[in-house]
Amino acid sequence: MNNTDKNIVKARHPFTEAFEMFSKNIAAVIALIVLFLIILIAIFGPTLYPVDPFDMVWMPFSPPGEEGFIFGTDYLGRDLVAMIVHGARVSIIIGLSAAFVTVFIGVSVGAMAGFYRGWVEEVLMRITEFFQVLPTLLFAMVIVALFGASLTMITIAIGAVSWTAVARITRAEFLRIRELEYVTASRASGANNFILMFGIILPNALPPIIVQAALMVGSAILFEAGLSFLGLTDPNVVSWGQVIGSNRSYLLDASFTVTIPGAAIFITVLCISLVGDGLNDALNPKLRQR
Amino acid sequence: MKNLIKKLLVATAAASIVASAATAGDTPKRGGTLITALGNTPRVLNPAVQSGIVTGFPGAQLFASPLRYDEDWTPQPYLAKSWDVSEDGLTVTLNLVENAKFHDGAPITSEDIAFSVDIIKAHHPFKSMFAPVQSVDTPDAHTAVLNLSQPHPALMLAMSGQLMSIIPKHIYGDGQDPKNHPRNNVDLVGSGPFKLVEFKQGEHVILERFDDFFIEGRPYLDKIVMRIIKDPQARVIGLENGEIHLSGFESQPRNINRLKKADHLTATPEGYGAIGPLDWLAFNTKEGPTSNVKVRQAIAHAVDKNFILKAIMFDTAVEANTGIHPDSPFYNGNVETYPLDLDKANALLDEAGFPKDSDGIRFGLTIDFGWPGVKPQVEYVRAALKKVGIDVTVRTSADFPTWAKKMGTMDFQMSWDTVFNWGDPVIGVHRTYLTSNIAKGVWSNTQGYSNSKVDEILDTASKEKDPEKRKALYAEFQQIVAGDVPIYFTNTLPYHTVYNNKVGNPPLGIWGTSSPIDMTYLK
Repeated sequence: MNNTDKNIVKARHPFTEAFEMFSKNIAAVIALIVLFLIILIAIFGPTLYPVDPFDMVWMPFSPPGEEGFIFGTDYLGRDLVAMIVHGARVSIIIGLSAAFVTVFIGVSVGAMAGFYRGWVEEVLMRITEFFQVLPTLLFAMVIVALFGASLTMITIAIGAVSWTAVARITRAEFLRIRELEYVTASRASGANNFILMFGIILPNALPPIIVQAALMVGSAILFEAGLSFLGLTDPNVVSWGQVIGSNRSYLLDASFTVTIPGAAIFITVLCISLVGDGLNDALNPKLRQR
Repeated sequence: MKNLIKKLLVATAAASIVASAATAGDTPKRGGTLITALGNTPRVLNPAVQSGIVTGFPGAQLFASPLRYDEDWTPQPYLAKSWDVSEDGLTVTLNLVENAKFHDGAPITSEDIAFSVDIIKAHHPFKSMFAPVQSVDTPDAHTAVLNLSQPHPALMLAMSGQLMSIIPKHIYGDGQDPKNHPRNNVDLVGSGPFKLVEFKQGEHVILERFDDFFIEGRPYLDKIVMRIIKDPQARVIGLENGEIHLSGFESQPRNINRLKKADHLTATPEGYGAIGPLDWLAFNTKEGPTSNVKVRQAIAHAVDKNFILKAIMFDTAVEANTGIHPDSPFYNGNVETYPLDLDKANALLDEAGFPKDSDGIRFGLTIDFGWPGVKPQVEYVRAALKKVGIDVTVRTSADFPTWAKKMGTMDFQMSWDTVFNWGDPVIGVHRTYLTSNIAKGVWSNTQGYSNSKVDEILDTASKEKDPEKRKALYAEFQQIVAGDVPIYFTNTLPYHTVYNNKVGNPPLGIWGTSSPIDMTYLK
């Protein structure tokens, strides 16, 4: 008896296991810490550094460090630190909410298609393909140009053009899981379609969706930066992409006005990707060393 | 006074150039291909039915007008070898040169002048140019008599540059819509020094010397290639590496300063006096806080023109104080100005009945802009007005037509705007201030400005034959408008003509490149 007891590996909680896997990925852990700091800046920065990013505080194009302006000033003499700090909030809010919109649309469509199959799947997947073949940036530009460049509209536009990947992943997972024994068992014990879809199958399909959602935050930030660079942005809020876009014509004279917000975007998106990578390691059972 | 000095300087400079040219044996030379740039594709090449500077450059080469102007705003003979305005100012007689031919060999006669006036009157957007012209008599083939309903001094400038292109009656008189006539872009028969070889949308306009041109020995150039290059950066590189010899209407301060540094290039703001491009901050004087003149004056005191000129225009533009371009003979710089004075601005706003609330805010305003190039100005206004407690929200427009519609229907509180004088004030200035022209689309009186005294002055000035009296009327008009501030004038648009030093006699008259370049040559 004792012998067998020893040989049985005690099943651990899946979160504990995932956490262990994640903490083995040093890059992901560092990225997570940096990301945490960036989020802290986004939340508390504007209160701790209460300079209005639209105020002209000093001479235009004063280089970083001069007169106590750590990042220098832009073409209208506005404080770049204030712009980065206030911009962090906008960029991260847009990243998160656009990822949420993406996951919401993608999971709904993918789950329906994968679960019901038949004509529902046909119709939904053709729609997905339709959105996939549209050039995403152009389509988002059209939406923003038509309905106005408010933050909500930009978020919806980014979500509307990038949900297709999530939909396809969700559908694939649903197609696989719906045939497994425990699903059949639940169905036999009387679970209705709603419980089956969102109570039984979805939780088991989540790992790849979570990874995809994490990466989506990064690409949404990039997307927003791209739209702002083209001038399709709410001019009354600061975002990193907007700072780059409005300073880009002065690139040769004052490169720091473009490189500093550029570095902010780069670091944030890199961290998000590394964390996403770490999550993939942690949540993908195939990579797990048992 | 400033103008006079400037003119003297120009005159001496011109004299010294002539002198040095004579010593260096730099006489105009025939031959060669001039490569130039156009910033956009013209809709049509026929300036009789299309306004705008992209049509102007090829248009003025393809079609001749009765008059041309020198740098001192003096009319010179062109298609008309002489002209005569009657004592009562009601008839203008043009005596045409006798050997003038269209590009297909047909003679240019007074019939064509009469026909062109009809077409321009009916289809050109600048209605005020020929509105008083009631009929054109053609007593013989080389005499055209324009009968006017009232004296119309603006007619002289309206007969020059790209504004009065003489088009052939035997081509355009075939009953087809002249605005969309097939011969506007292909197989074009013009009256100017160059004839059309090829016009390829988005690529180029190629022109070739017209051998039977009515001025002996001209044009000097064999060929003009106008490359259509929309990206200003690409034009800069083309000019720098010598691929492009000449480009007019360059307006980006950064690029102008960069081009000025190149040894083989000259960048000059000379030659845009008649185009007269002005940048300004427009107010809605009918509704909201900006209907109060004190609020408008306060805003003017809070917006620092020097900042715009130095930090946004990088010293490529000059200050504007009135609705008439500083290079125009009608300019009156002696008007009320609004130097930066935040205390005065605050006092005016208090007087106007807009005290600061607990957050230091008096009221909110919106500001619009029509194209991305003026976004820095708009952002500057927003930051500047915050200092006096006005909370400005920037409104974006999806594209130019959206903004134009907002302006045309006065759906705005403040907006950045750029408007051209187009030669005589009657053509490009009156439209902005007349009560009868309120909210008639973009670039009308979009401010809703109405002052019966101004209406009266402008009406008198449009009929005044005596140039000195006319000048006095416009001087008074500029003073009144400066006091009422329906518009806060900030600066001229920094239009520059950039040319390679190989180019002799570049077009630096009052119409810039929208004038014939038959005297331009390659060294």
